[in-house]
Amino acid sequence: MTWHGYRREVASAGSQRVAVAIVGLAASAMFVGLAMRHLDFASVLRSLRSARLLPWVPAATAAYLAGQLVRGQRLRVLVRRESTLSLATASNVVVVGYASNNVFPARLGEFVRAGMLAKLTGIPLTQSLTITFIERLLDGIAILVLLLIGTATLPARPQWMWDVARVGSLVFGVALALLLVAVVLPSFLVSLASRVSASLRPRWRDRVVAFAMSVTAAGACLRRPRDLVVIGAYSLLVWLLESAMFAFILPAFGLELQLAPALTAMSVTNLGILFPSSPGFVGSFHFFCSQALVAQGIPAATALGFAFLVHLTFYVPVTLWGAGAVLFYGVEIGATAAIARAARSSSNATYEQGVPIHRIAELDPPRPGPPASEFDVALVEALLSKEPDMVDRASVDYVAAFVAEEMRALPARLAFLYDAGMVAFRIYVRLRYLRSFCGLGVARRQAAMHSWAFGPIGLLRQLFRPARSTALLAYYDRCEAITKPRRGLELVANA
Amino acid sequence: MRDAGRVEVLVVGSGAGGAVTALELANAGIDVCVLEEGSRWPAAAYGQGSVAAMRKMYRRRGMTPILGRVPIGYVEGACLGGSTEINSGFWHRTPREVLLRWKAQFDLAEASPNELADHFDHAEKWLDVSAYGGPLPKSTEAFSRGIEAMGWASQQVPRAAPGCKSTNQCAAGCPTGAKQGMSRSVIPRAQAAGAKVVTDCAVERLVLEGDRATGVLATLRRENGARELVRIDAEHVFVCAGPTETPALLRRSGIKHHVGDSLRIHPMLKVAAYFPEIIDAQDSVLPLLQVKEFWPEISMGGAFFTPGHLAMLLSDNWPDTRDAMGQYRQMASYYVAVRGSGRGSVRPSLLGDGAPVLRYELSHEDGINLSKGLARLATLLLAAGAERVHPTVQGLSTIRSEVEAIRWLDERLPLSALSLTTVHAFSSCPIGERRDRCAANSFGKVHGYHNLYVNDASMLPDSPGVNPQGSVMAFARRNAIHFKESLRA
Repeated sequence: MTWHGYRREVASAGSQRVAVAIVGLAASAMFVGLAMRHLDFASVLRSLRSARLLPWVPAATAAYLAGQLVRGQRLRVLVRRESTLSLATASNVVVVGYASNNVFPARLGEFVRAGMLAKLTGIPLTQSLTITFIERLLDGIAILVLLLIGTATLPARPQWMWDVARVGSLVFGVALALLLVAVVLPSFLVSLASRVSASLRPRWRDRVVAFAMSVTAAGACLRRPRDLVVIGAYSLLVWLLESAMFAFILPAFGLELQLAPALTAMSVTNLGILFPSSPGFVGSFHFFCSQALVAQGIPAATALGFAFLVHLTFYVPVTLWGAGAVLFYGVEIGATAAIARAARSSSNATYEQGVPIHRIAELDPPRPGPPASEFDVALVEALLSKEPDMVDRASVDYVAAFVAEEMRALPARLAFLYDAGMVAFRIYVRLRYLRSFCGLGVARRQAAMHSWAFGPIGLLRQLFRPARSTALLAYYDRCEAITKPRRGLELVANA
Repeated sequence: MRDAGRVEVLVVGSGAGGAVTALELANAGIDVCVLEEGSRWPAAAYGQGSVAAMRKMYRRRGMTPILGRVPIGYVEGACLGGSTEINSGFWHRTPREVLLRWKAQFDLAEASPNELADHFDHAEKWLDVSAYGGPLPKSTEAFSRGIEAMGWASQQVPRAAPGCKSTNQCAAGCPTGAKQGMSRSVIPRAQAAGAKVVTDCAVERLVLEGDRATGVLATLRRENGARELVRIDAEHVFVCAGPTETPALLRRSGIKHHVGDSLRIHPMLKVAAYFPEIIDAQDSVLPLLQVKEFWPEISMGGAFFTPGHLAMLLSDNWPDTRDAMGQYRQMASYYVAVRGSGRGSVRPSLLGDGAPVLRYELSHEDGINLSKGLARLATLLLAAGAERVHPTVQGLSTIRSEVEAIRWLDERLPLSALSLTTVHAFSSCPIGERRDRCAANSFGKVHGYHNLYVNDASMLPDSPGVNPQGSVMAFARRNAIHFKESLRA
């Protein structure tokens, strides 16, 4: 980008920021007005003055900060394919996002946080934004689940809460369906994007395709069922801790410490502040939080006081933590915005080896797969060893690593079938021998493996065929063969 | 006037089809760019053994099985030069009767033996195709003895490997440079003529606007491992990505008319034969003779041999055959291949990365021909002095006598017991004037598109019954010249 181009971008970004801030402040003013109408302001102040801060506010703060750590852990799992983040770094990234939302209007913190994640991990910004979107989606679903639980257990169940749940289910349901398409059918999504955008100008077509590619790349973190379950569990835990923060503030106003009202207040408030508004969600937070409590029969002034205190409980610590993290990492918000803009595609071609190439997006680099598992090693050892001769450890490890790489190279569907088949085999071994495959001696392992790999059932033989063939190929081609009379072949590793 | 940000002709793939296309067009002064998914490997990377080659030069590291009632192992190259870098370099012209059949069944225009002769001549000159000049390896001598004993017709197959040093590294890339893979023969000529070659560039999709291809979306892999999604615009696009990737790419891009519906292969059953004398097949070029007595339905010849490949071959009956590994110096491997009258398909996977999913169902005739072929091959090898023959048939670990062998002339091998492989795939985007059967016209122009062509093994209308490299190169040259002339017109 040229200097003049950069200046134009900066000027354009400045005017966009002003517009966003005006809209956010207007929304905020509207919600403040809604919360305050027909309200005796003096009674709100009285309610706040009479609040018992100890030990409830520190307890609520602790619950909220614990939630941030869980968010950090969830982020680690989400980006595990692309990068290894420490819990501290991941939590700091999360907190910088929240702190920025407290300072900037219209949830701009989400972009700051995506920029910081991109900078720290090296993953493309669009992918980082998509991961943020996935987190928000999971948050939304967890909040909805808690809202339904909370509302169902409340003695008074206002209709509007059900309506909120219904609308939320529709919005997040559609988003979840789209995400699942990206996770399960990535190729289809990119094809669809390419076709849908066929009639657009090349610049916009590139953006649509790049976005689709980014979404599918980010969705890869949910492709393993185990990861999906873990991430879902973390999401529920995050919002249970946030509900605990709401619950701990209830006794500060003389209300009973109960989970159901806290669940509904937390859920309604967080669904409400999805609307872009002022920095720190001032206004919208107070409106939705107080309305949730009023619906449960709590006086309006107490409810609004509660909302003020809860807001301060999360606002102050997370903003301070975020500011510290920004100083620590030296993240420049302006620089992050510049990175975001630089990531946009250029319609002009650059020449590479004399070939005009239009760059569209950076993609995540391929990551080496996990090393051979203990099961892979046990399987290879059983296949190669022949009693009483054992194959040397170095050869087994080398072959197991090769077999693991080869199985990962299988087309996705076959790789899945292979994995599923091996799970079935391990269950069979566990039931048959009452021990794990890896825990068996070589002779028993061989017997178990032979009953499938060379047994009468064609399907089971086919299951073992790829691993069997690649293991034997790697072993015998690696080794130097020395024929010895009467003992068959003894193979000595080149190493 | 041509847009400066646009290539005149984009060739996707650098194998036998893509390399020839690039050379012909570059010779005519056309601005050509070849995009190759794999890497350009230096000479030092060749001949480093099967494992290293699978990692570097094979598509999906050699794990591209063909699904069906009988799964079939299949490999193809994914490096500069494509499968020509890892094949044996055997050379055949398309047999006359095959061309006649293609004319009759697919209305394939301008493809008589005479019309193709010049194209074959050119390709043979580029590759210096010739008969093997060195002393015949023992595995070939043994096979020759068997052929003589049986009195069957045979031929020594010419190869694109002048000065072959018999290092037995064909499948791992020729380390001496004798074998004329495309990276050594045609691509340097194309580059000298002005063609540009971009490697590590995997084309994901064609960019289509109405009835035109305007370019491709591709993933470019950098030396530091970073990847970029890029668009390369072109006025004409030749898809030469091979018999599996070409139909997958077209279908991913939304082009489906007779694309990927008619995959054909040469299913192959291998055997290992034990001889009383030292053969040392692992140290010599693979057997060079082919039995033509039963062609086109059945062919027999020699297979690539290393201790690792022998172990794979024996693995179907491993508990019974593993001890034979101790005698590997006295063993050699051979194959029986059938023409393949079954039907297959290629579809991009919806799950995962959109990689091709290959399917092929053996026909009843294929099963019978494989059984008869095994009977004849085993008989031949036993007549040649082999003491036993180990086929890749589960439950049939050893054939020790001719009586045991000829049993399979009358009986059919159980399909579920077969371990088949193939290295010949084609016909997934057949060409011809029959729009009801073909994906493209007789010169590779994809039906319904003005500037999109297929020009690789996928275009062969049906099984050629022989190693397809010669056919692919001759047809690719013919189509490129036709394109050139139509451009001028």
